[in-house]
Parts: sequence; structure tokens; C-alpha cells
Amino acid sequence: MCSIPAEAVMIDKKHIERVSEHVWEIPKTFRDDMRVPARLYADEELLDTALSDNSVLQLVNTATLPGVVKYAIAMPDIHQGYGFPIGGVVATHLPEGVISPGGVGYDINCGVRLLVSQVSVEEIEPYLEDIASRLYANCPSGVGAHGHLRLSDNELDQVLHEGSRWMLEKGYASREDLDRTEEFGRISAADAAFVSDHARERGRNQLGTLGAGNHFIEVDRVTEVYDQPTAARLGIYAGNVAVQIHCGSRGLGHEVCEDYVSRFQKTAQDYGIELPDRELVCAPFDSKEGKEYFRAMACAANFAFANRQLLAHMIRRSFEEMLTGEVKNFELQQVYDIAHNMAKVEEHNIDGRSLRVCVHRKGATRAFGPGSSVLPDSLRDLGQPVLIPGSMGTASYVLIGTKGAMEQTFGSTCHGAGRVMSRTKAKKTIRGTVLRDQLKSRGILICAGSMSGLAEEAPLAYKDVARVVEVVHMLGIGRKIARLEPVAVIKG
Amino acid sequence: MAGLLENAARAMQAVDGPRSARQPTATEEIEVGGVDRESLLVNWLNEILYLEQTHRLICVRFHITELDDHHLRARIETRKCDPSQTHIKAVTFHNLQIREVSEGLEAEVVLDV
Repeated sequence: MCSIPAEAVMIDKKHIERVSEHVWEIPKTFRDDMRVPARLYADEELLDTALSDNSVLQLVNTATLPGVVKYAIAMPDIHQGYGFPIGGVVATHLPEGVISPGGVGYDINCGVRLLVSQVSVEEIEPYLEDIASRLYANCPSGVGAHGHLRLSDNELDQVLHEGSRWMLEKGYASREDLDRTEEFGRISAADAAFVSDHARERGRNQLGTLGAGNHFIEVDRVTEVYDQPTAARLGIYAGNVAVQIHCGSRGLGHEVCEDYVSRFQKTAQDYGIELPDRELVCAPFDSKEGKEYFRAMACAANFAFANRQLLAHMIRRSFEEMLTGEVKNFELQQVYDIAHNMAKVEEHNIDGRSLRVCVHRKGATRAFGPGSSVLPDSLRDLGQPVLIPGSMGTASYVLIGTKGAMEQTFGSTCHGAGRVMSRTKAKKTIRGTVLRDQLKSRGILICAGSMSGLAEEAPLAYKDVARVVEVVHMLGIGRKIARLEPVAVIKG
Repeated sequence: MAGLLENAARAMQAVDGPRSARQPTATEEIEVGGVDRESLLVNWLNEILYLEQTHRLICVRFHITELDDHHLRARIETRKCDPSQTHIKAVTFHNLQIREVSEGLEAEVVLDV
């Protein structure tokens, strides 16, 4: 592999051309190894923020991947990741284009699920502290946390192959839940034969657990509705209770990524693929190695769908335990469940031709517009709901997918606010206990396993999510439907 | 290289946070492979994380017993802990470096936390 360190050349504004108000491009001529230009979707301030770390250089590195088409794309929430930037979208032309485990990330199918109730926050307020405590008890958190289910080998295989469908058979899901989940909660390419014993062992006891880092369960208030008819179709009304779940495939997904990044160090060499960063290692999608990773990734993705489904079940149970007989109509209906770390095989119209591509979305969300055949009947005329979580003290947003996203970004949009401060710096800047008290004074309850972990996720460590969403809305790669604000947060 | 591997394991644990100084109660034998010495370092550290997270062990002492550029065997003295005390999710290849310095070898490894 080529030995140019990813951070060898700094990029500044003189290397970037302005295509339109919120679209910026680094031309293919910037570096000899680029196969396509790199495009950034941002306003000027977000572009400056992106240039303050190595994320734009990482974006340029992804433009070197074999088979990459059109542009390597960065969303407005781009920030530095491992090899690939977070907030990046890269599509490779099949069959010769590559698939890269680093382009999906360690937390395969990390994603967000949104549930809504028809009850107002005021009605549950007297019970909120008890609900938060019950959620914390019922939804174990922490890096190595174990859940309530103990799976046999056979059951684990079924979860890896069936995802949320296994949860439906076991009574932890409804048909409506599956209908309102990306891929209906199951990726059919899954084959557990390509998941290592280590990965299986790491995941075996982790179903129904939240994990750590930026993962959370949040009870929210719907504070603003921008498009009432669409929001009503999704069951979203101002003032009502909503619950978000943000987590992924836990240790199992991490191990799948580790296994294949390690294995592909040799695979990339075998296929003569030269890369500027070892974390970008990849294999042709249609190669034996590429197919095996895709099948293992699909298993981890199914595990993540099942994990968020079980957490949703435990959240519903927590609400029932605290509110039955006290409050009416508190039941939680699923709006949608989306992935923001995934590789998908999709058809996209590129320069007038319909091409089959592998779309890597790492810290980016699928945002298919109205008419998409992969959406359930109940959503096809609306487009796909897109869930953009904020950080503990800030708003989150519900968007809807658009034709603009299909035309500009391979049907993709942003995934969150994006970090601007390292975890270490965040911990040095604010103490977890101080942050907890500050949030409490603003009416936000916090239940967290670790005060230092809480400080790492302080709102000041993130970009302004409202600004990110505004840019996406103006670009037409997602349309604002509603805003949510937290009233209780459960953190790992 | 053996010293680098053993020290890297201790460094990873130091980053993870303080641990009590209780004595080990068991021994694990592990074997790790890699395409080169950098891969070997990453895979070695990931194997330690696996033991700590999945088997709920604390790895107390490390002894590399066999080593070449593509393969190692090691004996690790461990003790049980419950729950897992690690906050590290993965060891990455991002900007991975092993350098020759005047005192021997120096490595830079990025951890996913």
C-alpha cells in the first residue's frame, strides 16, 4: 500500500471551488490518486469547521477508492473519523467497485428509532423521574453491558439472519414496527457463516443494551411542527411525548469491522489496491472477500435492528409500568427506524444512466424521496422519514426524504450535529456533575452510568444541529417536518 | 518488538482508567496473526479487549512467548471482574505507526472509545 500518511497535506479554502451557495468542490486535479472530485455540502461557517480537523483530507482520500462514482460526498455534519470521515457518502460502481468495512464504520447499523405517543409531556410530567429511572434499569448501558436475553447458538443465528423479524416471532415487535423500519428490519444478504466466533461471543448477551459513547435513550417533547399534514401522517403533534433510541450493533458489530479491516490488510494488497490510509482497506464487491464482508455486515446490521427493537419493547414496558391506570393514551407508536452506518446495494441515476452501486453511508442517513419502491405503502407518497438526533441539551429533528437527495447525494442526508471537540477536550472543559446540574436547571433529567462519559457528550462538543439541518433543508436533500427537545436522557 | 507489544497492552489499560492492584488468579494462552508487525500489534490489542469485554477478565500481566513478524503466542495472567471495566470499543488501523527511536521501538495506535 502507498505510504502517504492521511494527514500529510493540509487542505485550505484555496483548494476548494464554490459550486453554489452551499456546495463546495475539491477538483479531481487536487491529487493524482483522486478518481472523482470531492463535494462538501455546507454553509461557509460549517465549511470552516470542517477544515479545522482532518475530515476534508479524509474525504479526499475516499475519492481514491476503486470504482468510486460521481463524487465523494461530505454532509454538513462532517467530522474526523478513522480513515473515512464521519458524515461521508461514497458510492462505488458494481460489479468492479469496492466495498470497504471502514466506509461503514465500527458500529455497523448504528441508527435512530423514533417512537411517538398521543399524550402531552405535561400529562406524564409527574411520573417523568420514575419513568427515567425505570428506563435506566430496563435498558442496560456501558461498553460491555449484558442484556436480559441469553441466546443459544441457534437463536443467535436466527437473530443475525432475521433481525427484527425474529423479534416479531418472539412477541417483542409488531408488524407496524417492522413496516416502519429501514429494510423492514432485515437485510436478506446476511449469512452467519461469515461472522467470527469472537464477534458472536461479544454480541451473544448484548441484545437490548444501549452501550456507551454517544448512544442514548431520550424522552422528548415535540416543540415545533414545520409541516402539519406530513407530521400528522407520522403521528407527530406539537406538545406530545416522543422517545428516541440511538444505538447500534454493540460489540458484535465492532468485532465484525475489526475482523474484516484486519483481514483486508492483506486482501487489498492481493488485489493491488493502493490506498492512502490503512483504515480504508477494501475488496472488490463481487470478490469472495467482498461478498463475505457484505454478508457479515448484514448480520451485524440485523443484530442492530433487533437490538433497537428489543430496546423499544423495554421502553414500552417501562411506560406501561409507570403510567398504566394513571394516564391514558400513552402507548408509543413507531415513526421510523433508520441506519446511519451502512453499505447498501442500490440503483441510482448517474449522469443519465441507471447504475447499480454500493453506497457507503458512514454517519449519513438514507433519505429516499416520495415514490421510492423500497418504502412501505403507508409512506410511499410521503418519502422516507429521516431522524436527526441532537446532543443532550439541544434539539433533534424529523425530516422527510426528497427527490433532491436522490438527484444530488445518492438519496442521502446528514445524521446529526457532528463533533467539534474531542472527548478528551470535552472532559477537560466541563465536569459531568456540573453539566448534569446545568441540564437539570433547564428541565432536562439525566440518568448516566458515568459522569466522565456524560462530559464527553456535552452539547458544547457538537456543532449546532439546527444549522446543519437548515443547510440540508435549503439544499433540498431533506425537508424539515418537526423539532424535538429533550426532557429526560438516559446515557451509557 | 515483544517489549513494544507488552508495553502497548499496559498503555492501553492505562488509557482505559485506573484498576486495582489485585493479584491474577488464572492464565490464558493466546495466539494472534497479522499481515505485518503493525497488524500484529492491532490484533494483539484487540484480542486483549475481547478477553476483557467478553470473558469479563482483567489482563494483569503479559508474557510474549513466541514472536515473528506475522505471528505471536502469549501467556496472559488474568483475574475476573464484573462488570467489564473497559471503556474502549476497538483498536483501529487509523494512522497506525511503529517507529525506530534511539531507545528501541515506539508505536502510535488510535483507539475507538
